[in-house]
Amino acid sequence: MIELIHTYWLYFLVGQFPDGPLGGLALTVLLAALALALALPVGLVLGLARVSALRAIRWPVSALVHVVRGIPLLMVIFWAYFFLPSVTGHKTEQFSTMLIALVVFDGVYLAEIVRAGIRGVPRGQFEAARALGLGYGRAMRRVVLPQALRSMLPSLVNQFVATIKETSLGYIIGLTEVSFIAAQINTQVFTHATQVYLLLGLTYFILCFGLSRLAVLAERRLGRRVPPRSVRSPGSPTPTATPTA
Amino acid sequence: MPHFDSALLLRGQYHDWLLTGLHLSLALWATAFVFALPLAIIVALLRLAPSRALRALGTCYVEGIRNVPLLAHLLFWYFGAPELLPDSLKEWLYAGNFEFVAGAIALTLYTAAYMAEDIRSGMRAIPAVQFEAGRALGFGFLGTTRRVVLPQALRVTVPPLISQTLNLWKDTSIATVIGVAEMMYQAARVESASFRSAEAFAFVTAAYLTVSLLITAVAAWVHHRWPVRTL
Amino acid sequence: MRINIRIIVSALLAAMAFVSAAQADQLADIKKKGEIVFGVLGTDEPNSFVDPKTREIVGYEVDIAKAIAQKIGVKPVFKQLAVAARIPELQQGRVDVLAASLTHNKERESQVDFSLTTFVTGQKVLVKNSSGITDVPQLAGKKVVTVKGGTQEPNIRKAVPTVEVVTFETTQQAFLALQQGKGVGYVNDEASLVNDYAKLGPAKKEYAILPTSISVEPLALGIRKNEPALKAVIDDTLRELESSGNADKLFVKWYGPATKLQFDKRSFKIDSDKI
Repeated sequence: MIELIHTYWLYFLVGQFPDGPLGGLALTVLLAALALALALPVGLVLGLARVSALRAIRWPVSALVHVVRGIPLLMVIFWAYFFLPSVTGHKTEQFSTMLIALVVFDGVYLAEIVRAGIRGVPRGQFEAARALGLGYGRAMRRVVLPQALRSMLPSLVNQFVATIKETSLGYIIGLTEVSFIAAQINTQVFTHATQVYLLLGLTYFILCFGLSRLAVLAERRLGRRVPPRSVRSPGSPTPTATPTA
Repeated sequence: MPHFDSALLLRGQYHDWLLTGLHLSLALWATAFVFALPLAIIVALLRLAPSRALRALGTCYVEGIRNVPLLAHLLFWYFGAPELLPDSLKEWLYAGNFEFVAGAIALTLYTAAYMAEDIRSGMRAIPAVQFEAGRALGFGFLGTTRRVVLPQALRVTVPPLISQTLNLWKDTSIATVIGVAEMMYQAARVESASFRSAEAFAFVTAAYLTVSLLITAVAAWVHHRWPVRTL
Repeated sequence: MRINIRIIVSALLAAMAFVSAAQADQLADIKKKGEIVFGVLGTDEPNSFVDPKTREIVGYEVDIAKAIAQKIGVKPVFKQLAVAARIPELQQGRVDVLAASLTHNKERESQVDFSLTTFVTGQKVLVKNSSGITDVPQLAGKKVVTVKGGTQEPNIRKAVPTVEVVTFETTQQAFLALQQGKGVGYVNDEASLVNDYAKLGPAKKEYAILPTSISVEPLALGIRKNEPALKAVIDDTLRELESSGNADKLFVKWYGPATKLQFDKRSFKIDSDKI
């Protein structure tokens, strides 16, 4: 086991970089961070569209949200992989494909988190902002959203953990993220399958568990109770906000 | 792009492949669900047990499983874990449909971890006085849980559990990496045999959506028929 | 002699550059970009694989690709692909040329164009001796494993209609499945099988490659349809490699007696793109 780590640790952590594209654990984290950063504005727009007074906006977006939530992430990835180039006219390789699929998929789930965050800010804040003469956009941007984002922070960290796990599906389209690299290493060292996959699991565990502990710390700082990761308020009929991967 | 050939979806060899995939996806989903639910109840009870050691065991299970992606679980149970078994046991295991078995094991353990948390939250939502009253009447921990807390908790827990069932349905798609011939596997197979990705993916998307919408409809009906009562 | 051919080819190329300006000209785009993207498997020793020490992609097809890039005068870039993704990635423009152990067959000719055949191999089945299987027909009703998205699954099904096939994302996952006993046979190109067999080391004696080939696989580089200029450059580079003796040297370097595969000599020449 030690020998295994000793020989392959660099490949596991960064793939072929710098002699080739970035891979391994570094790629996993980078992809997840980028996907979440880009999915947040998408989620914001979708969340706002879902509560819009205009039916023409609300219905198509709700339909999109229901479709994306009803199909596996893998399906979204396959659609992106096979059809994105014909739609955008641009070549897209595995990283971009994965990124776009994750942004769409997570954006839809983030829409719910964003909605909950905005609702969590007392209505009085919004009304006061309007009373001071700020328009809808300014009131949102300067008063409501900053407060909403602070309260959303633990949910966002949980979502980041979920996104890290989702990047593992890049394996299936040949993205050299950490699961793919682990499988490649495994085939070089035939007889240590159990150790390799245990190490892979351990890596994910340390990363994800560490991050979710950070979320708990953030919660304590904010002085609020930690919302359990996979549960909405009891009795709520809406699906949970944590996509699994 | 060549025109969409819907005849492919309605009959013929590719249609049969995709249909077989659908049946296997459903079988995998049902199998994992049947085993995950009881396991989830046990783990939830572990997490709420009076004994610290039992609580730690439950927490290790939940945190250990949830912080690792399902893909890694599948790879571990199919390629990793069985290698530790003695040869004769291994041969017996592999002689059957081990792909399905490993997939079912990984999915069961993974889903049970999430369901356990939902059940635990549901039980915590019941005011502590209920539990205390049960203990005061002379029932032990398990007795009180079974007769007083769990029945009330179920109403609260059912909606999140139905969500987890929905997640489980979608998660069966990942079993393709260990060779389970479910829908995504068959879709990729149709694509490489016929180069017709649009038709294959449309079929599979529709199939996933149909079942997902059915599950969501059940959830809405349950919420309507058995709304959560507050004391 | 060599210098003459080079001048003639360069002149032809220059002429073609003007002539093919009217059509979609990938070659011109490549020259403008200054780099050519080759789709490789990176997991199929010795055609293309990752050298664990340098973490670079090397191999028989990689060397051929480098020769082509040098001929065009651009930098070669290598992109790893899954077996099932090769043709879609080429068709959608995500790679310029495929150097990915691609079999040239009739069905694929409608999707992509092929260069001159660079390697001829057959597909065979690797089995564990303990299974008691000594030839292909005995696989009837048994379970074999292979990779998704290649010609392996259709070929074995044609050879043994009642066989059960389980496919995995990469060839190595499939090979691992065979070793673990999850199938009785592993189907792949003969060269890859010989390479895997050699890598087994002392465990070799527990395995055997079944004698019957289930297909003949001419491997070639994959090119998008309607790119005559690019195909011409590639074919010319290949002819040059053959006539200069470098093609044979490449074969010996990656497949010859000093390597794991220990092939004695080539049974083919790089001179035709007909199958």
